[in-house]
Amino acid sequence: MDSIRVKRLKKGYGRGLPPAVDIREGFSVSEGELFGIIGPDGAGKTTLFRLLTTLISPDEGDAVVQGLDIIRDYRKLRTIIGYMPGRFSLYPDLSVRENLDFFASVFGTSIKENYHLIEDIYCRLEPFADRKAGNLSGGMKQKLALCCTLIHSPEVLFLDEPTTGVDPSSRREFWETLARLRRTGMTIVVSTAYMDEANRCDRVAMMRSGRFLKVDTPSDIVAGFDRRLLAVRSDEMFRLLQDLRSMEEVVKCYTFGDTHHVVLKENAACAPDEIGHRLTGKYGHTGVQVREQAATLEDCYMNLDD
Amino acid sequence: MSAFRYLIIKEMKQFNSNRFMPFVLVLLPVVLMLFVPLLANMEIRNVRLTIVDHDRSATSSLLVDRILQSDYFKSAGYRDSYSQAMDDMGMGRTDIIMEIPADMEKRIGRGEQVGIFIAANAVNSTKGSIGGGYLSSIVSDFSAGLAENSGGRVEMPLVVTPQFRYNPHLDYKLFMVPAMMIVVIVLIGGFFATMSIVTEKETGTIEQINVSPVRKRDFIFSKVVFYGFLGIIAFTLAFLIGHFVYGLAPHGGLPELYVGAILFLIFMAGFGLLISNYSDTLLQSVFLMLFFVLVFMLMSGIFTPVSSMETWAQYLTYFLPTTYFVNILRAVCLKGSQFQDLAFNYIMLSVFAVLINIIAIVTYRKQK
Repeated sequence: MDSIRVKRLKKGYGRGLPPAVDIREGFSVSEGELFGIIGPDGAGKTTLFRLLTTLISPDEGDAVVQGLDIIRDYRKLRTIIGYMPGRFSLYPDLSVRENLDFFASVFGTSIKENYHLIEDIYCRLEPFADRKAGNLSGGMKQKLALCCTLIHSPEVLFLDEPTTGVDPSSRREFWETLARLRRTGMTIVVSTAYMDEANRCDRVAMMRSGRFLKVDTPSDIVAGFDRRLLAVRSDEMFRLLQDLRSMEEVVKCYTFGDTHHVVLKENAACAPDEIGHRLTGKYGHTGVQVREQAATLEDCYMNLDD
Repeated sequence: MSAFRYLIIKEMKQFNSNRFMPFVLVLLPVVLMLFVPLLANMEIRNVRLTIVDHDRSATSSLLVDRILQSDYFKSAGYRDSYSQAMDDMGMGRTDIIMEIPADMEKRIGRGEQVGIFIAANAVNSTKGSIGGGYLSSIVSDFSAGLAENSGGRVEMPLVVTPQFRYNPHLDYKLFMVPAMMIVVIVLIGGFFATMSIVTEKETGTIEQINVSPVRKRDFIFSKVVFYGFLGIIAFTLAFLIGHFVYGLAPHGGLPELYVGAILFLIFMAGFGLLISNYSDTLLQSVFLMLFFVLVFMLMSGIFTPVSSMETWAQYLTYFLPTTYFVNILRAVCLKGSQFQDLAFNYIMLSVFAVLINIIAIVTYRKQK
């Protein structure tokens, strides 16, 4: 069964500006799915979240979450969804415990009732229960925010860049929690800027300029990458980037870790060695290494715009 | 637990967790009520007076003695002519010139009215006008004394100026204290609530509330009630100081005061909500609030009497709710007026309270 079904959705801010979200093809998220959204800043991810969580109403659109219309049934919908915005938005002047208590009572429940959902996160927070939420570290704040979002046992969870600015070990813990929540049958929609996180999702939507360009499982997205990709290194990495970009076979070239990834034109039939020779000969690079590279999710993301 | 109850509890916790706010709640009325009326005092003492006595009679010297006996005036010497005295004033050696015409005594004896000329240096306008006022009142006192001595043959031989009723000595403190009570209510009832709503906007917590089943109505109402309650506490504190320190409202009039205060608080709450509808940041809201509050305070006769304003400005005061509230406060505190005397003011205050809340709610709805 589909947990979220969007036929079309459009929302613009002010005249003259292109709409922030303009989904025409529609998509759906099935129940218990971990659905990731990746896209550059300004792609409309947050606006999409705010639309689906009934915070703003669309200019036009037709979307249903758990069988409830986001416009008509917004009041009922609010009782069964959890939304964690990208920015920390709990009461900084209340303590950890007071925040949790408050959000529990807002949803007409208590901490005790749904403790099993937050147990493994909250046990980390427990030593700081009396500390003001505003004085917590970034990772702790995120944990508390997740607790507050989970306290009413929502059926659908919306997480807007939950791990931005969180250290790697906290990020891993966070995703382990998500995986565990997913096993309880909760539908989770999460946006992220980290490709390793996107890889952990059941399906990923690549978003740009308010549109979904591709919605698929991470492996299918990678498999669907139909260009030839090379990884190139030399001793002068910065000049190499310029030089590669000036070659006519190259569509795109960007840094990727300690190498440059080069996307070749479809009809370019040149072998890696040929590029290597040209770089050593014509451009005078030393220590040149060129090899074929299998695409990763990040490569797909970098090549979204065409 | 009802939404309203836990929202109030949350407000209370937030208020208590702030080291600063509870302190302000008590300190604000205390400082404003105890110190400001004493400091911002327009009472004038030691006004320098130059006397030009063309009469040089027993009556004229008696009058001068009487004037100089008061605390308000001290002599800056005698001059033979008005122009000499004017030179003194030009040099800044005197504040007020009193010119007693020749044959004053004789003319009083004949039962004529005699005009006494007073010229006040209005560079320091309060000193000049208030000093002039004191002088007039002493002269009319003296004049009344003369009338009695003459056995009622002549009524008031010297020109009389009106008495200052209800504040006979023009005690500025009594004028200031009700003003300070209003400032207390404006700051706590108006500013606190607005700032608290806008802070929730700024921190994003309002979004967390918005995605929850809590109704916006309950959310706003909890703030209005909580900060309204704080406003009443501060007002009570201010009133107690006014009563016990300055002897304000000796006739009671508590119901009149509190009905006025509650109506005004409802107005301020609606006004604060309206401001918060149009501001996204704390800074914005505070500046907007400050702008309107200054207009409310300075243009509605809280600090300066409406009667001394330009005519067009007097009409303007009818559009400011503070005008009605200050009327109520002054009338109840100084005169002991009751509901029926102030019906117009109460009605106008209610009209404002209802209107602003309707506007606030309509604009609030339109936001989404």
